[in-house]
Amino acid sequence: MTFKLDTLFDSPDKQYLNANDLSVLSQYVSSIPERMAVYRTLRDQEIAIMQPIADALQQQAGHPEPLVERSVRSGLMVLRYAAMAMLLDDDGFVEERLQGWLPEMVKAYETQAVDQQLFQLLMQQLAKVFSPAQLNLLKPSLEKAKSLMLNTRETVTLAGLL
Amino acid sequence: MVSVADLLTDGRLPGNYFAQDLYVRGSTELGLLENRRGDRLLAIPDALLQAIYSGLEKETGQASRLVLYNCGRWWGKNFYARFCEELADYYKQPLSSLSMAEFLQSLQQCWKTHGWGQIHLDITYRDRGFLGVEIWHSPFTATAPQGQKPAGDLERGILEIFFSQLTGRELRCAQTSCTAKGDDCNRFVLGLEKRLQPVEALVANGQAHQAIMQTLMQQG
Repeated sequence: MTFKLDTLFDSPDKQYLNANDLSVLSQYVSSIPERMAVYRTLRDQEIAIMQPIADALQQQAGHPEPLVERSVRSGLMVLRYAAMAMLLDDDGFVEERLQGWLPEMVKAYETQAVDQQLFQLLMQQLAKVFSPAQLNLLKPSLEKAKSLMLNTRETVTLAGLL
Repeated sequence: MVSVADLLTDGRLPGNYFAQDLYVRGSTELGLLENRRGDRLLAIPDALLQAIYSGLEKETGQASRLVLYNCGRWWGKNFYARFCEELADYYKQPLSSLSMAEFLQSLQQCWKTHGWGQIHLDITYRDRGFLGVEIWHSPFTATAPQGQKPAGDLERGILEIFFSQLTGRELRCAQTSCTAKGDDCNRFVLGLEKRLQPVEALVANGQAHQAIMQTLMQQG
């Protein structure tokens, strides 16, 4: 597991934690109830959050069903990883788990255009569910996931094989 | 209409099975490294690979390339079976219903996580019946004797079997560039034996990958 506080817990062989380290730890600990509340909401409303997005992508934007399905699947995945990253206060988590995967899937199925809209709709949808402060907890990892998905630079694509 | 609930099978959303921090585990008290299914993994030091190359060279001379190639084929056969089994288990569906994108992406991630470098498929020549494979940062050719000839015989073997099993056709694999002779990465071409025949002579002539592919394309 990647965990921002790992570096703190890694160091008992060096020295005791100093006041700064402990204050980092206590800030994290005191933020846990809020993080858990956001996490629970995401968990319980996963479908309720995503279904209107799927509908909008298909009905209003008129994207074909298979593409919408693909994109929504990626969106669900991003949200789940972002939720976990938020709980751990570690936006590197999203990168580590999704890096070798999501960008390649986006390229293989050529969903960039749909994904772009999906992210816009997702942010709107989340703004309805969460307070700005809560949204700020999620934002870093969502931004990371978004840039992973939409900046697909590698040249080799699998699309032609499908 | 897309139903989000239907996209989640048992609430699961299978993704990157071979993600490094998930895949490599261990029961360190017993001195075991394991993958996430509990199969044993082991770390091979560079020096051991070097020793294998030099030992083979000393004992078998020219035949060492053939030995390595056959080891690669053996490895490939087992690797393919285990790879498929792990994916089928994880996705909880027969491999035949897994999409090619997921399958190949899993292969790339698997390769990386095991520390075998980065593997990429090059499908430029697909219409002509060839599949290209690039391997960057290969540990196998980094430790192989450096010289004028490609030295990725282990990889040539594993790729040949892997893609033969995947496509259900008896494919051959030739290596057209190699880090052991100063190229930027290892490149391989897979195709039917008859069509791939000219490659060996071209490689022996010291031709570069691009030139070899051009010749292959011209043969019609």
